[in-house]
Amino acid sequence: MTLFRQIAIMLTLFLLIILGTVLVLNFNSANESVQDRLYEDAKNTASSLSLSLGSANGDISMMSTMINANFDSGTYSYISLVDVDDVTLYERVAESELVETPQWFVNLIKISAPIASANVSAGWSQVGILNVQSDVAYAYKQLYSILTNLLISFSIIAIVALLTLYSILSAILKPLQEVQHQAEAVSRNEFIIQNKIPYTKEFKDVVVGMNKMVSKVQAMFDKGNEELKHHKELEYVDANTGLKNRKYLIDKLPEYLKVDASSKGGINMMIAFSGVVEANEKIGHKDVDKLFQDIAAIFKKYSNKYERAIVSRMNGTEFSILLPNCTEDDGLTIANSIYEASSTNIKSVGLDKEQTFISLGLYEYNYTQNIGQLLSLSDNALTQAKFSDSNIHLDKSESATEVMGKDAWRKIINDALGSNSFKFVSWTAVDAKKKKVAHNALSLTLKASDGTEYFYGQFMAPANQAGLSSKIYQNVMHMMFTHPDKKLTSSTCSIRLSFEYLDLSETYDELSALFREYARALPFNLIIEMPDRLVRSNSKVVKLYKKLFETYNIETGVYEFIGESADYQYLRDLRPVYIKGESSYFLTQSDQSLSALRLITDTVGISLIATGVMELETLHKLQDKDIHIIQGRATEMITLL
Amino acid sequence: MNILKLFLLLTLSVNITFAKPYVEEKLLHKITQKYKTFAKKRFFYLQKSLDKAKKSSELEKLNIVNKFYNGVSYASDMKVYRKKDYWATPWEFLGKDRGDCEDYVISKYFALIYLGIDSKKLFFTYVRSTKFKAAHMVLTYFETPRSEPLILDNNNQKIFPASQRKDLTPIYNFNGESLYKASKRGSGKKVKSKKAHKKWDQLKLNMKRKKI
Repeated sequence: MTLFRQIAIMLTLFLLIILGTVLVLNFNSANESVQDRLYEDAKNTASSLSLSLGSANGDISMMSTMINANFDSGTYSYISLVDVDDVTLYERVAESELVETPQWFVNLIKISAPIASANVSAGWSQVGILNVQSDVAYAYKQLYSILTNLLISFSIIAIVALLTLYSILSAILKPLQEVQHQAEAVSRNEFIIQNKIPYTKEFKDVVVGMNKMVSKVQAMFDKGNEELKHHKELEYVDANTGLKNRKYLIDKLPEYLKVDASSKGGINMMIAFSGVVEANEKIGHKDVDKLFQDIAAIFKKYSNKYERAIVSRMNGTEFSILLPNCTEDDGLTIANSIYEASSTNIKSVGLDKEQTFISLGLYEYNYTQNIGQLLSLSDNALTQAKFSDSNIHLDKSESATEVMGKDAWRKIINDALGSNSFKFVSWTAVDAKKKKVAHNALSLTLKASDGTEYFYGQFMAPANQAGLSSKIYQNVMHMMFTHPDKKLTSSTCSIRLSFEYLDLSETYDELSALFREYARALPFNLIIEMPDRLVRSNSKVVKLYKKLFETYNIETGVYEFIGESADYQYLRDLRPVYIKGESSYFLTQSDQSLSALRLITDTVGISLIATGVMELETLHKLQDKDIHIIQGRATEMITLL
Repeated sequence: MNILKLFLLLTLSVNITFAKPYVEEKLLHKITQKYKTFAKKRFFYLQKSLDKAKKSSELEKLNIVNKFYNGVSYASDMKVYRKKDYWATPWEFLGKDRGDCEDYVISKYFALIYLGIDSKKLFFTYVRSTKFKAAHMVLTYFETPRSEPLILDNNNQKIFPASQRKDLTPIYNFNGESLYKASKRGSGKKVKSKKAHKKWDQLKLNMKRKKI
C-alpha cells in the first residue's frame, strides 16, 4: 500500500471520527435542548393552567373542563390534578402517535418528557398539584429533522474536508512521487537525475542520495562506453588506412552467411599488394603508407554503392572487399576499375607498376558457406590472380544443390502463408551456472501441402530470395498473438525479428494494432529480439518500437551483437534484457574489451548470451569469460535442475 | 441506674452543645469578611433566637422567626442588587440587612425548616396588597393541608390567620419542595423533573453554592 493511501486512510478515519463525534455531541445537545423545551412548555402550561384552576374555587367539574380544554388544544401526553391528600382528582392521558418519524429512529433514540408540576390553590386554600407532561411526538419529529440536517451538513463538510485534505496531501507528497518515479527508474536501470530537489528534508536527503548514486552509475556506464569504444577502435580498425581489420570481417561475416541473411551472396574480393619491399626501399615507409591510404580510399569509393559492403585490411599487404548482392559482372567491372585507379596511383608516386602492383582475387560466395570456406576460397582466387596476366581472377562457389527451384519454393511459401501452415518450435537458452532455462527461443517450421515439414533454415533463404520473409513474419506474429501456444503459458519466450521486417514502414502500425488487441491476453512473457544493426542506429523507429513494447510489457533483446557501434548509449536507452552474440565473438574479445562491455551491461542490467555454442569445451571457455547463458547444441549437454 | 441517667444526660447535653448551627462556622467567617462585624452579630443573634425557639411550639417558632426577620430593613431589589427581581439567599439578606418581600419569605422559610417545621406546611404565596395596591409575597403556614393558613408578612409584625388579612388578596401558592416531591401518577413511564420553579430552582442553586 502506498504511503499516500496509508496517510489518506488514517486522516480520513481521523476526520470521520472527529466529525462523527461532533455530530453525536451536536445531536445529544439538540436532544437535551428538545427535552428541555418539552419541560419548559409543560411548565408554562402547568403555571398558567394552575392559576386558571384557582379561579374555579375547587369546583372539580369546572377544573376538569379547563384541563380538557388545555389538553385538547395542545400537544400533551399527560395532565393530572392531585389533591392535598395525594388523591387524583382528574387525569388525561394520550398515547403518542409517531407517524412522522421512522420507527428505527424512535427505537434508537429514547426521549423522555419530564413532568412539570404547579401548586393549585383557591384563595388561601390549597387545592393540590397539577402535573403536565408534553407529548414526545413533536420532539421526535424535531430531533429527526435535526439529525437529517446534521447528516447533510456533516456529509458536505466531510466531502469538502476530504477533498481539501487529499489536495493538501497530494501537494505535500508530490516530491515523494517524484522520488518514487526515480527509484522505479533505477529499478528499471534507467538513470534519471532529479533536478527538482524537494523542500521536505527527508525527501531532499533521499533525492540527493539517489542523484549521487545515479550519477555514479552513469559515470560507470560512461567509463565502460569510452573504454569499449577505445578497444573497438584498436581491435577493429587498421590504424594506417582507417579501414576495418581482419577480426572485424570475421566477427561480421556470420551476419552475411546465414539462412535468413538479407543477401543470398555476392563477391568477396581479396586484394594483395606485390613489390611492397621494393617500394619501401624506393620511396620510403612513409610514402608507402600514404600510398596504402590512397588506395584504401579507392577501395571505399568503388564499394560505396553496396550498402553493406565491408572493406578491411587483412594484413600488411592484403585487403578484402565484401560486396553483398554483387554479381559476377559487376564484380569484375569494379575489380578492373580498382586495378586501373590503383596502378595510376602507384605510377604517380614514382613506382614501377611492373614491380609494384595489386592482384585481385574475386570469389563469388553464397550464404550457405561458412567463414573458413569463404576465406580460403577467396585466398585461392587471389593466388590465381597473382599468376594471371590481368592480375584479376574470378572463382565461383559451387552452387548449393537446390532440391527445388525458386518457383517451387515460392509456391510452397505462398501456400503456407495462405493456409497459415507455419508452426512454432522452441529452442532453449540455458543458464549454465544456474542450470536453468533462461528462456525459450522460438523458431518456425513450415508444413507444405504434401505434408513435408521444412525447417527455418530450409525455407527462409528461398523466402528471402522471393521477398517473402517479411510476409512470413507478419503471418507468424499474428499467429503468435491470436492463437498463442498454451504449452508456453507462464514461460518466457523470445522471437527474433529480422532487420528487413522491422524496417518496413507498415510493420510498426501492424504490430501496434496486433498488440492493442491481443497483447494483454498473451499467456507467456515475450521478448522480441531486434538485430544490433537496427538498434545501434538508435533511430526514431527503434525508440518507437521500444515505447510500443514497453506499453504492452514486452521486453527487448538484441541479437548479432559484435559491439561495432561508435557509441553504446543506445544500450542504455533501449535497455534490452539481453544481448546475444556469436560465441566466437565473445571468445575472441580481449579481456579489456569484454570487461568494458560487462561494465556497460552490468550497469544497465543486461545479460550476455552466447549463441551457436556447439560443444561443452566452448561453453567452458565462455564461462571462463563469465558468460554463462548460451544457446546452441551445447545446451542439450547441460543437466538442468 | 444513676450511672445510666448520667450517661443519657451527658449524651443529650453534648447533642445540644454540638447541634449543627443554622450558619456553619466556615460560612459565617466568609460572611464576616464580606459584611463585617455587624453582620456577624446579626447572625449571632439569629442563631440565639433560633436556639431559643428550638424547643418552642410551631406557633412560637413562627412568631420568633417572623419577629426576627421583620427587624430587617425593607429595600427594593433594584436598590440592593441592581436587578428588577432577585431572590436572595438568607445569608445575603441578613448580611446586607436589607431586602424585599421575597427575601423575607425565603429567610423565614429556611429558618423555620431549620427549626423542624415540615416543608409541606409552608408556602410562598403571591398576593396583592389592597392597601399598597401592589404585588406582594408572604409566607403562609398551613397546620394541615385543609386548615386556614397563618400569614407571615414583613409588613405586619404579627401573624394573623388569612381570614383576618382583608388587605391581602391571594393569587398563587407555591411550595418548591412539594413540587419536587410530587409523586408519580399514572403509568410508570412518567418522568419527574428536577425542576420546580425557575426562581426557586435558582435560589436552591445559590443556596447550594453558599452564595453570600
